[in-house]
Amino acid sequence: MKVKPVNHAKAAEAFIEDTAHMDFHDERLWDLRQKRDGQMHILPEWQELRARASAIKEHTLANLPEYLEQFEANAKKNGIHVHWAADGAEHNRIVGEILEKHGAKSLIKSKSMVTEECCMREYLEPRGVVVTETDLGERIQQLDNQMPSHIVVPAVHKLIPDVAKIFAEHYHTDPNDNSAQSLAWQQRLAARPVILSADAGMTGGNFVVAETGSFVVCTNEGNADLSATVPGLHIATIGIERLVPRMADMGVFIRLLSRSALGSPITQYTTHFRGPQKGSEMHVVLVDNGRSHRLGMEDFWTSLKCIRCGACMNTCPVYRRSGGLSYGAVYSGPIGAIIDPTFNERKYSTLPFASTMNGSCTNVCPVKINIHEQLYKWRRVLAEHHELPFVKREVMHMAGKLMGQPTLYRAAINGTEVALSTMPRFVLYNWLNPWGKHRELPHPVKQTFHSWYKQNRLKTKKKEGESA
Amino acid sequence: MKIGLFIPCYIDAFYPNAGIATLELLEKLGQDVEYPMNQTCCGQPMANSGCNKDAAAAEALFVKNFAKYDAIVMPSGSCTHHVRDNFDAIEQTDDVRHVRENTFELVEFLHDVLKVQDFPWAEFPHKVGLHNSCGTLRALRTASMSELGEPFFSKPMDLLGKVKGISFATPKRPDECCGFGGTFSVTEEAVSAKMGTDKVRDHHQAGAEYIVSADTSCMMHQQGCAERAGVPIRFIHIAEILNGARE
Amino acid sequence: MSTSRDAILTRLRDNRPDPKAHPLPPVARLGDMDNGQARFENSLQILGGQVLERQEGDTLATAIARRFPDSKVICSAVPDFEGTIRIEELGTPQQAASVDVLVVRSPFGIAEMGSIYLSEAQLQDLNSAAHLTQHIVVILSAKNLTANMHTAYMDRPEFHTANYGVLMSGPSATADIQGVLIRGAQGVRTLSVWWED
Repeated sequence: MKVKPVNHAKAAEAFIEDTAHMDFHDERLWDLRQKRDGQMHILPEWQELRARASAIKEHTLANLPEYLEQFEANAKKNGIHVHWAADGAEHNRIVGEILEKHGAKSLIKSKSMVTEECCMREYLEPRGVVVTETDLGERIQQLDNQMPSHIVVPAVHKLIPDVAKIFAEHYHTDPNDNSAQSLAWQQRLAARPVILSADAGMTGGNFVVAETGSFVVCTNEGNADLSATVPGLHIATIGIERLVPRMADMGVFIRLLSRSALGSPITQYTTHFRGPQKGSEMHVVLVDNGRSHRLGMEDFWTSLKCIRCGACMNTCPVYRRSGGLSYGAVYSGPIGAIIDPTFNERKYSTLPFASTMNGSCTNVCPVKINIHEQLYKWRRVLAEHHELPFVKREVMHMAGKLMGQPTLYRAAINGTEVALSTMPRFVLYNWLNPWGKHRELPHPVKQTFHSWYKQNRLKTKKKEGESA
Repeated sequence: MKIGLFIPCYIDAFYPNAGIATLELLEKLGQDVEYPMNQTCCGQPMANSGCNKDAAAAEALFVKNFAKYDAIVMPSGSCTHHVRDNFDAIEQTDDVRHVRENTFELVEFLHDVLKVQDFPWAEFPHKVGLHNSCGTLRALRTASMSELGEPFFSKPMDLLGKVKGISFATPKRPDECCGFGGTFSVTEEAVSAKMGTDKVRDHHQAGAEYIVSADTSCMMHQQGCAERAGVPIRFIHIAEILNGARE
Repeated sequence: MSTSRDAILTRLRDNRPDPKAHPLPPVARLGDMDNGQARFENSLQILGGQVLERQEGDTLATAIARRFPDSKVICSAVPDFEGTIRIEELGTPQQAASVDVLVVRSPFGIAEMGSIYLSEAQLQDLNSAAHLTQHIVVILSAKNLTANMHTAYMDRPEFHTANYGVLMSGPSATADIQGVLIRGAQGVRTLSVWWED
């Protein structure tokens, strides 16, 4: 089956047409970027923190097998069951088996991008497990049957009336409720009984500490803590790249994470799980799903440093104006554009081009991933692997040839110099027509610079030479 | 010092005045400048599209045209960025290395190499909004970047500050990309135009009569957006102001 | 036991960058080293927490009664405060849902963040109580404040010993609906600190 590339441009166009949503989305995320800047300005050691975070992560990735083994040994000592999943299917099977063994039919979970990668809900639900997202934004997305549009604020593209409508449909609340406060309260009321009767709880893991066999989960709502401490079974699904060597390294990451993400100093809850609580069972599923392969990609392995703060999305002028869903992938925005092609090159071949490569993402990244340079490099890889649209490839091929031949090039330009009321033909290929949809064309001029120079410098120089 | 002047294709065809101002300004500053007539393009459009191999002919020609100069100066940040940082479709010979190491964007050349202290002929009695292209800002680093919280500096503003009568507008999002992005401007037409329109509105609301930039490509896009959206703002290349343009 | 385990580890060994090129930086103590009460209170307030008001002659009980006049079930996890029920009397994690106010002692707080730490040692193995209760009152001594996240992780032994350890920085919060900040989302609706000593 031939996969069609995601049409980001088309989805973004639709997003932009809805002015109210688009303007709020842009302003809201820009505000997060501003708040992040505010936190940076408070800390004189900000750049040192970034450099350390980057160095710790690079070291850990270069020593990942040893640290994973160390984590596993310590976690087992602490009484945690450790599982390894090569891909999403294996992950889902493992989780399904644990639940089945416990006769668990209801699972409450906090936000986990890995379970999104694995499409876990889609696997478990037909097998009779009711999965309930407990993060408010994630729950809204679940009820609306959409992917999270942002890795930190999953429903950031929605306005209050959208949420009111969704809640009215599922929670039978007032469809005209226009108070965020009251809607959040409805969610609390709806979630409590589900939490109290759940058979199992699931969390992700923001960090995994090899030295102690622990994992750390950061949330603002406390929903991960509820998911982990109320039912008697806690399953944590974690990507294998989430390791840090020492507990003392956490200082660097916790100081950067929420400041980069939301501009708040720390998430309201920073929870350290080192073993099962009394009377409970704890499982950790370590998920590869392409990560070990990515580690071998010379230009792209550092994308594994990502701590999923979303700062690159908040600062990205393209993301803010196209919305996370337009990327058609679990990971959206700049980080998504460099990770997604490792999952499926053809399907996500368009994403590295959904960027102006302006570089703001790289500057805000708390672990110093050179995101915009990786976007540039992905474009090359995709071109070499023939994943560019035919027309674009041809235009570039022809333009490249033309640019190597000054006489032909000049003829192409000069063809228009006779009557410069139109654009030069070489930029008027059909492919370039969209320019004029929301923009005027450049104004015609009387003379090119080339021609002016010939007339005003070469001729005068020649004359000077003659008179000398 | 013998200077080779590179004029990017879109300046050649649509904004010759920016090219003329660059040349005249360098001449006023006593420089020996030549414009090689066989020049075309630096290769950036092909390379940025991923088609690096297709950039080879342009890059080879560029080196052939400019290897003999002590410095290559161009009124374009993004072209300078390409030559300096990404110009690798061809074998890296001594000539190629020489060209890459001695290519300068106009502002950095005036500010860092010539260290110009005065533009006695320049007067621009208008309020301007400075647009730093992402190439000049985050690749060439001619100004401080808001994301890093570094102490403020701005080479283009240093130069413009020496112009009589000029004043500056302060947009809300000074280093937000304007959305040109080369082929992005057509493949992602809707986002590109929205970004450009937001950009010109931001400058206009800050009271700018003109948007001034070292990059004509950004301004070509912004001007198109401003005219379509009816935002009354004018555009001028920094070389024109420094060369003494009054409006 | 798992073939995937070995396959993953082998692939990682084959694919990884040169470990010698990426040394581990030494642990560092960075940032502001102020561990004062004023800094803690300022941080706590930023994150939506509060200091429980202490009027002349107040005991913890009178302060709680004034702050939470409608609360019926006040659960104590500390020996020196009675409440209406002791945490040990709650038989299951779910039973903690009936609690209006939980009173618990924190072994340390972090001045940089206004965070308080709780583990199963303070929660008498009923970790859910810290999240199912409507309100939480945390007894804390200013002597037990550490300056920042670096000093906390480097100096506090709890991170190496507790099975469950949470840093709570103010109450549960969300801004998931149109960016409106709401304190008291799914977990505790308020978090108050009661200074002792």
